[in-house]
Amino acid sequence: MIGGVARRSIVRGGLIGGVAAIYVALVGLYTKFADLELVGEQVTLGRVLIVAPALVAAYAVTRPRIVAGERRPVAFGPGVAAGAQTGAVTGAAFAAAVWFAYWFGIDRIREIFVSVTEPLIEFLTFGQGVPAGLPLLVGASVVGGAVGGFARTAPARVRDPVSIGVVAVLLLGLLQRIVPIVFVELGFEARWLYRSGSGLTLLGAALIFVVAAGASVAWDRGGERARDRVRKTVETAPAARLGLLVGILATLFVLPLLFGSVISEVLSQVMVYVLLGIGLNIVVGYAGLLDLGYVAFFAFGAYSTAVLTGAFLNTTTGAAEPALSADLNFYVAVWLVALLAAGVGLLIGAPVLRLRGDYLAIVTLGLGEIVSVITASRWAQPLIGGPQGMRGVTKAQIGGFNPQDHPQQFYYLALAFVLLALFVSWRLASSRIGRAWNAMREDEQVADAMGISIIKFKLLAFAMGGAIGSLGGALFAVNLGSLTPASFEILVSITALAVVILGGLGSLPGVVVGALVLIGLPGLLREFEEYRLLIYGGALVAIMVLRPQGLIPNVRRSRELEQEEVTQDAWAKEVTGEAEAIAAVVPGGTLGVEPEDLE
Amino acid sequence: MRHDGHLLELTGIGKHFGGLYALSGLDLYADEGEIVSVIGPNGAGKSTMFNVVTGLYPPDDGDVRFRGESIVGLAPNRITRLGISRTFQTVHLFPNMTILENAMVGQHCRSRSGVFGSVVRLPSTRREEERIRARARESLGFFGSRLAGYREEQPAFALSYANRRRLEMARALATDPVLILLDEPTAGMNPRETLELRDHIVRMRDDLGLTVLVIEHDMRVVKGVSDRVVALDYGRKIAEGTYEEVASDPQVIEAYLGTQAAG
Repeated sequence: MIGGVARRSIVRGGLIGGVAAIYVALVGLYTKFADLELVGEQVTLGRVLIVAPALVAAYAVTRPRIVAGERRPVAFGPGVAAGAQTGAVTGAAFAAAVWFAYWFGIDRIREIFVSVTEPLIEFLTFGQGVPAGLPLLVGASVVGGAVGGFARTAPARVRDPVSIGVVAVLLLGLLQRIVPIVFVELGFEARWLYRSGSGLTLLGAALIFVVAAGASVAWDRGGERARDRVRKTVETAPAARLGLLVGILATLFVLPLLFGSVISEVLSQVMVYVLLGIGLNIVVGYAGLLDLGYVAFFAFGAYSTAVLTGAFLNTTTGAAEPALSADLNFYVAVWLVALLAAGVGLLIGAPVLRLRGDYLAIVTLGLGEIVSVITASRWAQPLIGGPQGMRGVTKAQIGGFNPQDHPQQFYYLALAFVLLALFVSWRLASSRIGRAWNAMREDEQVADAMGISIIKFKLLAFAMGGAIGSLGGALFAVNLGSLTPASFEILVSITALAVVILGGLGSLPGVVVGALVLIGLPGLLREFEEYRLLIYGGALVAIMVLRPQGLIPNVRRSRELEQEEVTQDAWAKEVTGEAEAIAAVVPGGTLGVEPEDLE
Repeated sequence: MRHDGHLLELTGIGKHFGGLYALSGLDLYADEGEIVSVIGPNGAGKSTMFNVVTGLYPPDDGDVRFRGESIVGLAPNRITRLGISRTFQTVHLFPNMTILENAMVGQHCRSRSGVFGSVVRLPSTRREEERIRARARESLGFFGSRLAGYREEQPAFALSYANRRRLEMARALATDPVLILLDEPTAGMNPRETLELRDHIVRMRDDLGLTVLVIEHDMRVVKGVSDRVVALDYGRKIAEGTYEEVASDPQVIEAYLGTQAAG
């Protein structure tokens, strides 16, 4: 035992860290980012990644333990020691793997793992080679582990400012391609902050650290009271709420003017997924129907916009008129698209009315795939271009407003759509309809018995979700001006679902944040493009383990117990326990006691 | 809706799960303004009978008539709209919704605002929402202060067991029923709460003018509330009449003693 952390736990955590480090090496992250300088010349992303596995492992190992129902945090000193030991295990495992690779022969391993190269070994041993550099590798891991232990166990008044400062420095270092451009567009000099074409200067890093840490300290000191006051004012005074809303809208409005076209473009992509997220959130978050084929609505929205606004088919000989085509203005067509998509929602909803949970997921997955396949089929070629796709979606111009040629103007178009969808979704959620969806999600049979027509409200959820999702597709079509089936694959469904889950099921702010994190960050950090799915996967696993209710949870899903009732409930648990045992043997026993009942 | 005869009438109801006959040839009725208690040992088919009446299970034989019309084959929500509401043997609330919201769900079938009205918040929608809220509060108020006031905004899962049962009844009352089916409403309650609930059941008839069909094991409650008692065993009616008649029926005594001896 080291300060309450069992040796076994240290070894296990350390080994998991070692495996993670080896994995990071094998997928090629080290080789790719070895030279991506974040701060000065020495702190590269690659070096941060060398330290990271040990840091994360130590952070996990030094977590508070629950002993006899009591939360016992690990003390500071022993925590750092345990962290360093975890790091040592991680480093030893990693170094052993490096040594093994060297001994076995780099070239032989490379036949399978293409990222294992001489430069990788050289990088991991800090240029010293095997075996001279291996102690350095272990040393780096020990330091990383100690930092991880520090980040978990240090007193909050030290830990929070330091962690926030470090994270701010690393983040701004990563954004080295974006932030200087923004600075220049704003008319500021950025040379003191960023070295040209590279990471932060030492001075810049120090300044950022001080500012971020200082902000954290100030937030902790006066923050609690100020936050309470703000919350209360916003809750009690409608004028304050209106002011806040106007403030947010104004900020959103000036954003592209300040930040220019690069950020506007990224934000526009984000907003396409915000729309998909809002729509899918109605189906999955509000109504509790797991839809894995949401891409169907996205594709329908995009292609029907193209057809209704008179786009052309791509053919081997040039462009051709589709078999069926209208020549509507985009702003007329889009309402028609939403209406038709609601109809498609009914079509998709009808066959799955009786299905729930896994079965529903599988069937919607299949329906989504059918739509994907249709977009790429020769059969659909005369109408929507088949494998070659369509181009010339160009009817979005009104006077001087031409969102297709100007990313900033497209941003405003997208913003208008998003605000509309947010408004509709919010109003629905806080109405009789939202209540019915909620009841249906919590317990379908009981909702039915309380007078809610399950058929009607399931279909309504699919129709509303479909209509909003199709707006995302319409925007996408206008943004690109051309469509190919490759854009409408299952990955869209998965990404949209990831956005909703990461943000928090049933939470509208969550959808926005989820899209910013999953679409916005990779959009800004183009270097990570090829690792995008790896990061999605990691992010989803992390969120499920650490914060299953999502980043910004829906109030309902994060409600806490009222203390006074807990004691009253202690005995009731036994009673319901019996009831559950009975319910389990009752035929059609779906009316068993829910786990939530027992909380 | 004029009709002659009973408010609710079950004739020759049969229901089986595989080879197990939960109900067979069951006749049962309830008249307007009556409290009918259904008693019988565990597994006698009491809850199955409730499920058949409220449309959760379709019966295999027989007919269920409400106000003279057959309701067999209707979806549960349609039956609730006709005026039959219920509670469940194991409490089934919407645990993550607030207490007030739970009761407001009960009013769903008495309101009609659609998508357009909800998004635009038409004056009629706003009035309706106010009415739903007021009606929900009223039905929560049936149980005095226990579910009212600050508790309205608490999630249902935070309630004590007895209060969950009360909330479930309040939710059922909020559907504006004519007939209410209570499935073991006092299960898990302490003696004082049980007595209190006995008065509430009587008040459902006297103050709210409801017809009540109640499954109950506590004989003091059965004795205190019943206009008529029906005893079931193995899915058949074995006795019917006043409490005293049924309680002294040899078949009923045997059914109960048999269970006690076995259990």
